Amino acid sequence: MALPAFLIYGFLYLYPALSNLLYATRRWDGVNPPENIGFRNFTYMFTNDDVFLKSINNNLRFTLFVVFFQTAFSLMFATFLVKNTKTNIALRTIYFFPTILSSVSVGLIWISLYDSNYGFINALFKKVGLDFLALNWLGDEKYALLAVAISQVWFHTGQMVVIYVAGLQQIPQELYEAADVDGASRWQQFKSVTWPMALPTTAVVVAYTTIQTFRAFDLVYTMTNGGPQNASQILVTLIYTNAFAGFSFGYAAAQTVILVLMVLAITWLQRRTLRLDYGVK
Amino acid sequence: MKINNKSHSKLSFRLGVVASVFAALLATSLAAVHAETTPVLGQRCENEGSNTGISSTSLICVKDKAGKLVWARVKVNSSGGQPQPAIRVSGGTIEFHHWRGEDQAYFDKIISQFQAANPGTTVKQVILDSTSYANLAYSKISTNPKAAIFATMRGAQFKQFYDGGLLRDLSSERFVTNNIVKSALTPGIVDGKIYGAPYQALFNNPLYNADMFAKKGWKVPTNFTQVLAFCKTAKAAGVIPFAWPAATRGNGGQIFNSFLMNSAPDIATLTKNIADLEAGTTDLTSTWFKGIATKYQQMGDAGCFPPNVSGYNDTVAPSDFALGKAAIYPCGTFCMAAVTKVNPDMAGKMKMMGLILTDDKPIYEGITNNTFILSVNAKASTKDQQVARAFMSYLLQPSVAQYYGVASSQHTSVVNADYSANVDLLNTSDIMGKKLLLAPRFLFLLPQAKVRDVVEDALIAAATGSNLTTMLADKSKIIKQNLGK
Repeated sequence: MALPAFLIYGFLYLYPALSNLLYATRRWDGVNPPENIGFRNFTYMFTNDDVFLKSINNNLRFTLFVVFFQTAFSLMFATFLVKNTKTNIALRTIYFFPTILSSVSVGLIWISLYDSNYGFINALFKKVGLDFLALNWLGDEKYALLAVAISQVWFHTGQMVVIYVAGLQQIPQELYEAADVDGASRWQQFKSVTWPMALPTTAVVVAYTTIQTFRAFDLVYTMTNGGPQNASQILVTLIYTNAFAGFSFGYAAAQTVILVLMVLAITWLQRRTLRLDYGVK
Repeated sequence: MKINNKSHSKLSFRLGVVASVFAALLATSLAAVHAETTPVLGQRCENEGSNTGISSTSLICVKDKAGKLVWARVKVNSSGGQPQPAIRVSGGTIEFHHWRGEDQAYFDKIISQFQAANPGTTVKQVILDSTSYANLAYSKISTNPKAAIFATMRGAQFKQFYDGGLLRDLSSERFVTNNIVKSALTPGIVDGKIYGAPYQALFNNPLYNADMFAKKGWKVPTNFTQVLAFCKTAKAAGVIPFAWPAATRGNGGQIFNSFLMNSAPDIATLTKNIADLEAGTTDLTSTWFKGIATKYQQMGDAGCFPPNVSGYNDTVAPSDFALGKAAIYPCGTFCMAAVTKVNPDMAGKMKMMGLILTDDKPIYEGITNNTFILSVNAKASTKDQQVARAFMSYLLQPSVAQYYGVASSQHTSVVNADYSANVDLLNTSDIMGKKLLLAPRFLFLLPQAKVRDVVEDALIAAATGSNLTTMLADKSKIIKQNLGK
């Protein structure tokens, strides 16, 4: 039974991944034969590619924002929706709804909402007298990344709510009853019972969200295509641009290796941090 | 009352005279009307740009050397000989790859007629949006021999397909040499051989709302000073002067053609400037490029563009233009369909202007482009190449091109197609009477992410008020890095 699975895995995943490693050491435009250039792609991207370094910076800021707010919002909503009442189930379904939409649809919806001249968001801010918040959301270098990050949080929070609800439902009710007897407030119950008991779920949510932010290609591509002036360029959109609009397939393959290493490193750090907090060594 | 013979003959004579005079007057006035409404080659005409259709026999009202308006031949250059009929083929299934999703239904109809005329053949359309097509078409087609006929974009993409050995030599195909306007073939020729048949004849010039201009009493600006003055006038009237979709890379770059058009003393210098930029031997801080960037900035300062233009996309721009919120939509003939889709009342109200951004005597007055270059996949099987040739010869029939052109609001490069059934094609075709330059934006031949995208980003930054000196130096550095310098 294991052999067919391994063959499929090897053909669809392992072989392309190893091929990518090979192409990372090549100069290849997709037309002419690849040329072996050793590790020059790697040295070049760290010493002579401002857009690559900017993309790493953007990606880290994007990830930090999305991981923090997506985790916080999903935990907050989950604590209110943990009981299986009809209303809560309906609300969970509503919060989950954006997840089933395609990324392109979500991107187009948010482009329309963010439109600086006709969009709902700026119209709302102007209506309530907050004109200074009516910004050029997707066209201004200062706000484009933030705007896409907010859309990403909206897009996936519902998904994380479902994971958190499943985790929170595993917490023994006796712990809350004991806390009640001790006279603990709701906040104290959250701090001393819910948060520590939900840490394993949080580890999953944080790791999953991190990976999601590094793979947020379709939303960024649809909403800004990495612009304006590379202000919302993240690693995956840059890799796509280098490969398919720049025909530098070898260079893009090398950047993919860095992307994978970054995701591995960040995920490892997160798991280590959360495990230490939880007391599991 | 009795009338005697004498009186009767007198009366008859008088009536005869009156009738003759009346008939003469009527004949004269009819002749005058006829002379005014029926265009005659070389005779005077009244309204510049009015025309009788766009085919090799059509006439257009243009200024002659003395500045008088006269009827002249529409500038559809001759082809290599008599148009050839479509070739026949029996059986075979191929794919037709292209990016014109908006034309899918028209191509479906053409394909069904082709299949009926060639029993046993099947042509399947495979369509990507234009941005994805620019990026992915080569990868998809080079690994798929069933993609026996496909379209490429002029410039970098056509070159890539040529370099990859995917283009069959069409030099000896008479349905190509004879059915396409000779001058339009240029983008499909490499080293004297024909590798592609450019199907579409585009005019990448701004559309203006002629109805609005007439009602407001505005004149179409004909030099840079007038452009800046017009922007101030239109803005003061609460109208967006130029609905420039800067946030959309494809159509946002169309206006760049107009900026390039008269930026150098001749086409050879312009070609060299762009080649030098791509070779890394010059950069964006050069006097030539800084001059272009400065004009973007001047137009931005004069209020030519909408507020927050860097976030203004190509969904909002045609909508603003169609709904009368913008006076000019700097795009091209291929954008007319998007405008009338938003507001069908715009049909017949759009005209096309050459955007002249110099106060000197212009070298060129407008832009044209021959693209959607049809090619046969040299790596397809012999049988599939036969089907592809037959289908291409069918597309290049004047009647088929005419159907496609009228339906899609899109001129083609095929001879003897008459577009007079489409009012928008008629209204925008007076640009054909002007001195046109083949869209210089496609003189950038490297993959667009390396140089052209950075250049266009720099111009958006210029228009939104960036410090030119530092911004152009920064962008030059990125270009050098992209070139591996």
